[in-house]
Amino acid sequence: MSEPTRPTIPAARPPSLVSGGEPHHASVTPVGGVAEVHEQQPLVGQDLRTEELVFNMGPQHPATHGVLRVVIKSDGEFVQGLQPHIGNLHRCCEKIGESVPYYQWIPYVDRMDYLAAMCNEHIACMAVEKAAGIEVPERAEYCRVIVAEVQRILSHLFAMGVYGLDLGAFTPFLHQFREREKGLDLLDHISGGRLLYHYVRIGGVKRDFTQEWLDELEAFLAAVEQRLPEYNTLLLSNHIFQQRTAGVGVIDRSACVRWGVTGPALRAAGVDFDVRRDAPYGVYDRFEFAVPHGHSGIAGVVGDCFQRHWVRTQEVEQSLRIVRQALKQMPQGPVMGKVPKSLKPVAGEVYVRGENPRGELAVYMVTQGEDKAWRARCRGPSFSNIAVITETAKGTLLADLVAAIGSLDIVLGEVDR
Amino acid sequence: MSTTPSPAGTPAPAALVDPVTERAHALLAARLPGVVQAQELGGRHPWIRVSVTGLRDALRLLRDDPSTQLECCHLISGVDWPARKPGDKAELEVVYHLVSYALPYDAAYKARRGPQAKNDPWVAIKVRVPREAPEVPSVMDLFTGADWHERETYDLLGVRFTGRGFVPRILLPEDWPGYPLRKDWETPTDYHGIPIVPPEGL
Repeated sequence: MSEPTRPTIPAARPPSLVSGGEPHHASVTPVGGVAEVHEQQPLVGQDLRTEELVFNMGPQHPATHGVLRVVIKSDGEFVQGLQPHIGNLHRCCEKIGESVPYYQWIPYVDRMDYLAAMCNEHIACMAVEKAAGIEVPERAEYCRVIVAEVQRILSHLFAMGVYGLDLGAFTPFLHQFREREKGLDLLDHISGGRLLYHYVRIGGVKRDFTQEWLDELEAFLAAVEQRLPEYNTLLLSNHIFQQRTAGVGVIDRSACVRWGVTGPALRAAGVDFDVRRDAPYGVYDRFEFAVPHGHSGIAGVVGDCFQRHWVRTQEVEQSLRIVRQALKQMPQGPVMGKVPKSLKPVAGEVYVRGENPRGELAVYMVTQGEDKAWRARCRGPSFSNIAVITETAKGTLLADLVAAIGSLDIVLGEVDR
Repeated sequence: MSTTPSPAGTPAPAALVDPVTERAHALLAARLPGVVQAQELGGRHPWIRVSVTGLRDALRLLRDDPSTQLECCHLISGVDWPARKPGDKAELEVVYHLVSYALPYDAAYKARRGPQAKNDPWVAIKVRVPREAPEVPSVMDLFTGADWHERETYDLLGVRFTGRGFVPRILLPEDWPGYPLRKDWETPTDYHGIPIVPPEGL
């Protein structure tokens, strides 16, 4: 975003409009009572009556990224305290998980974090596979990594663009959505759905990649790689963006750990941890990639809005690296393993963690030898990530609250499940 | 996957003892005698069951001790276990998954991980309470993030968390009847005159 050109405001009314044609110098000079007014300090408590105001932000507020209602107690422009209210988008994902067979639950998982459906499917399928002892063909594991990383790129493009929009920068949003549309088309061509795919299935993936699709993927990767510095110029090196985010909404390591904040927000607080590297699932242990985390060498403070945004920009680059490596390493073979028609895992439990674009998605599944799960518990990363806002936003400006909520990049579908 | 698969449905071999759970179990047994009630240290989902009265002490010890450093309460889940045959105890189970970001993970253990093995530094702590009077002490002051998880567990399963005052519902409306994730829950026919018709099969 370029610096807006300021319209030149005439310093005084044109002489022709002033009565008598004489410039009125006297009216400009502070005379009489003006100086006295300045001496009547402080105004607060005497002339102006202040009171705390309790009001709702949301559930239809654009900056809350969904149907989040935040009740704010404010004193002027400052937030005294706030309480998020969730549940407007509760769709009983866990109850449905106990009510339908395993195969039928996977499409519901897509709807939790609808901006990262591929990643959700990946982790939910892993939980069922682990419970039932199903082996996934190697090629399918690579297919899963590729689509999950493409999804991560798309999700981060969305997060970064919309964050700019939250802070008043319209241009990056439109630019990033151009690339995001290409990526959505890409996933559409492999799965048949634009946002909700059901491409990752229990035991593998639905379809193998075709050569045309791989060419399309290559073009998409090249486009993102080429455009990424441009986006960073638009936001990261933008003076206004830096002023709005640097030092704002600081969530340090201690707060992250106490509240269970994960993902880019945890890494921005300087924690060098990524499930894909530190507790690898699928074939993530076969790739070389860096885990960007917040540090003092860049603008802002460790754990502030700026560094959270910075972590996302860096993660897009790492995702590009992972997809390229996966494409090189990918073996030939089937993409669907042997899966029984009626899936009845023996009694037991599994706990599967995975790195979603927004943080750690975990599925705790209790099985009882039936075709349905006894308990299908999901840990949505946004659920824990948004809870921290009650602590972070205390005492900040209202405008900074919007910056802080936006930088956490929550998806309400996942908060409410 | 590179390792040989186990036949469908069989749990992982018990020989794969999870080092973090093993350490946590040894610590609890040494420092809080009588608190651990049952445990499973190996397999794909190792866990330790503690008494309800010792829960807070156990979680605080695991959080603060330098050998475990399980500083983050990742997830609190409730599981309903109604009596399914005569003589069974009707119970509610609350499972705490604790995670460490500080503890360097055992490289040797990581190396022998297989598709069935647990390979990340978390520990599952369980408590069981009777279904008629499910009261569990709150751990909100130990792990701030437990607040919403406890509210959700109360909301959906009716576990009462004591020691933290009034626990409001979080996902459902305040006047919602009953706890939907209990196994004997029946969908009401209407809510304030709005008909609720569950689709076929649900």
